[in-house]
Amino acid sequence: MQQRRDEILAKKAKLAELKRQRELRSRDASASRASIGGPSDLATAIPARAENRAALDSLVNDILGSGKRSPARKGSRPNSVLSAGELSVETSDLASPSNGQTVPPSLSISTQTLSTVPLSTVYEFPPSPVKEVFSYSKGVQTTEDWATQTSGPRTYPDSEDDDEPPATATSPSKRLSRRERDREEELRQNLRKEIEEELKAARDLVADGILQHSSDEATANFPARTLTSEELKAVTSSDDFMDFVERSSKVIERALDQEYDILADYALSGANGIEDDDVEFGNRRRRVKEVAQFYDERWSKKRMISAIDFSPKFPELVLAAYTKNPSAPHDPDGLVQVWNMHLHDRPEFVFHAQSDVTAAKFSPFHPNLIAGGAYSGQVMLWDTRAKSSPVQKTPLTGSGHTHPVYSVDIVGTQNANNIISCSTDGVVCGWTVDMLAQPQELLTLTTPPPAKTEDLSPTCMAFPQTDPTYFLVGSEEGTIFPCHRYDRAGAKAGVDQRVSYRGHAAPVMSMNFHPARGPIDLGDLVLTSSLDWSVKLWKVRAPAATSTTGITGETQSVTPVLDFTREDVVYDAAWSPVKPGVFSLVDGAGSLEIWDITVDTEVPIAKAQPSVRKGGRNLMSKSLNRVAWEETEGKRVAVGGIDGTVTVFEVGPDLGGKESARNEEWANVKKLIARLEASTNGSTNGLNAV
Amino acid sequence: MQVNPLKSDGTTTVLEEHLQRLGSKSGVVATVVVDTPTGAIIKSQGELPPSHGSRTRIGADEETASGTQSEGIEELASMVWNFVKTAGGLVQGLDSEDELKLLRLRTKKYELVIVPDPKFLLIVVHNTPAA
Repeated sequence: MQQRRDEILAKKAKLAELKRQRELRSRDASASRASIGGPSDLATAIPARAENRAALDSLVNDILGSGKRSPARKGSRPNSVLSAGELSVETSDLASPSNGQTVPPSLSISTQTLSTVPLSTVYEFPPSPVKEVFSYSKGVQTTEDWATQTSGPRTYPDSEDDDEPPATATSPSKRLSRRERDREEELRQNLRKEIEEELKAARDLVADGILQHSSDEATANFPARTLTSEELKAVTSSDDFMDFVERSSKVIERALDQEYDILADYALSGANGIEDDDVEFGNRRRRVKEVAQFYDERWSKKRMISAIDFSPKFPELVLAAYTKNPSAPHDPDGLVQVWNMHLHDRPEFVFHAQSDVTAAKFSPFHPNLIAGGAYSGQVMLWDTRAKSSPVQKTPLTGSGHTHPVYSVDIVGTQNANNIISCSTDGVVCGWTVDMLAQPQELLTLTTPPPAKTEDLSPTCMAFPQTDPTYFLVGSEEGTIFPCHRYDRAGAKAGVDQRVSYRGHAAPVMSMNFHPARGPIDLGDLVLTSSLDWSVKLWKVRAPAATSTTGITGETQSVTPVLDFTREDVVYDAAWSPVKPGVFSLVDGAGSLEIWDITVDTEVPIAKAQPSVRKGGRNLMSKSLNRVAWEETEGKRVAVGGIDGTVTVFEVGPDLGGKESARNEEWANVKKLIARLEASTNGSTNGLNAV
Repeated sequence: MQVNPLKSDGTTTVLEEHLQRLGSKSGVVATVVVDTPTGAIIKSQGELPPSHGSRTRIGADEETASGTQSEGIEELASMVWNFVKTAGGLVQGLDSEDELKLLRLRTKKYELVIVPDPKFLLIVVHNTPAA
């Protein structure tokens, strides 16, 4: 500080010298210059002066001419000092009076300006470029502005007065400088107070936390305003809003549909805890209990269910395909709804097609994809991530199917799978999932030679679990034919001419390979249902075996291993995915039957009918078309039929569920089949012998 | 992509349908859709008695005049709105990359199921099943 003060003094002396000389020369001009050179002059002069000496001259001129403005600058000066630090404020306070006292006596003419110059110039420029940047808070800078503005006009007349009588400059200037100092002091105090307040406020803000702040804000501006009707309309019709309502209402419905009360206190009331007992059946382990029913007033109405499938990835999702609603010509004909076990009142997804959907299936290799076949012969693919229309569909041209597709399947492996579709004119097509514009392979099935006509009209198709190149088709006449997708040793692509499975006397409605997932391979067991009021169990010859036994070229006819005769047409039959001897069937009378061949081959273990939906289902609409098992647990069975309602049943632990599948059951089934086979072979042999 | 047939027959009807179905579920007392940024009520259904003892908002709007139930709804909306804000702050505080997805608030009388979203807020109030 001392060093600087010396410097200042030296400079001051120099300035005084310069000034004295110049004043003599340009005394007259200075007054006019002052009036012309406004505050802008000063502003530009300050940095210039700091840079070079040449500018210093002009500055001196300015200062001489407009000494009145220096108090204004003074108003701002303390700010910079103050902000630089409290200590510097004190020292500058000390410094300025001493300067003012020592210098003026030596200068006779411009004492006033001299006393002000050091105050404004010296302290202004050195700290400003460096310290301003980081030591000023925003608040301080704004108050500085305020200070200069208010102090400016007040000091102006004063200094004007001082300028006019130069002779009496000393005493007024002293008075003035004291006044100024007082004012400065005042300003400084004010500023200090302000800064302190600000600091305190900042500290408070940090200490009290954002919570209080935000809650204040929140309560302050809730509801910002009520929306006008136009705004409401704009918001409610926006896609964002639609999406939100769609999503969120689904979430809430799931939350509300959750029947179990997680806050239930079993210690308080014992009444709710006990599950209702099926006393009539006597055996709860074999019960079949209805757990959910799905029907949508808008979409399911007057449609028949043509396919049901559980999602292999999400066991709570079940899809149902529907035929058209004849009373709603403007609605899309085809419909697929994906229902969620946890969402009772509405489908999770709704998909459309231009023609009745006659087959639909979740892709086992991609959780989002659903493949379907339509009455128009189209094969389509829906995506649960997309909207309701199919993401892909085959064109309505001659390249693919031209007849209704009643059966689709997705076969292959995770990385190489195909959609296989089969239409009633005997055409089987293979499609890649990525491209449905053209079939990858096309096969026309024909009835093998001894028949009257070559035509073959498949009603259903089934692939074994292990071989995607070999499949069975059930025909309208009742015969089941094995088919190859490709040429192989001893057999051409198409219907294998050497073997046929004869037994049904009416169209085959469904075929289902045994899901071989146990310790013993039962993958060659096939369950078929037919309109001849029966379900038949077959043991299918392995494709390799057929090629060796078929040397004679004669058609070998295979008869069923087991025959279950029912009291009505049987539309569908399906193996349980976990229990080797259990299968379910649905019939035209509207009942679901669960069989276990290891227990009884004559009567079903359990029988159930979907509860009658309010306002629906008269006698004519009871019939059930489709049945499907949930695959991972094997506990739930979904059925659907003419009235468009999907009903989900849960079976007791004896009929489903992973934990209860015992190894001996597999062996029992195997033994049973072997025994039955022996007896049927014996009888056929006997017949042949006769 | 074709026009979604779901939407073709008027966007609001589908919307109404969803809300209607929510409202018709057993035990549901009220459903409210709130605009998240402003807190304005976009849609509401059902009624709720205004809470006693708490400050009543003297609004210049006609809702106060129309009856007490909309006042109750409004009060609920404002409280839930603040609550969701705070809850969102909590979640953000725990993990800045996290996001609040669902709030279920069980009380002795009701359960509030709240689906927060950057743009909207759906609140469903339903009676707590007797436990």
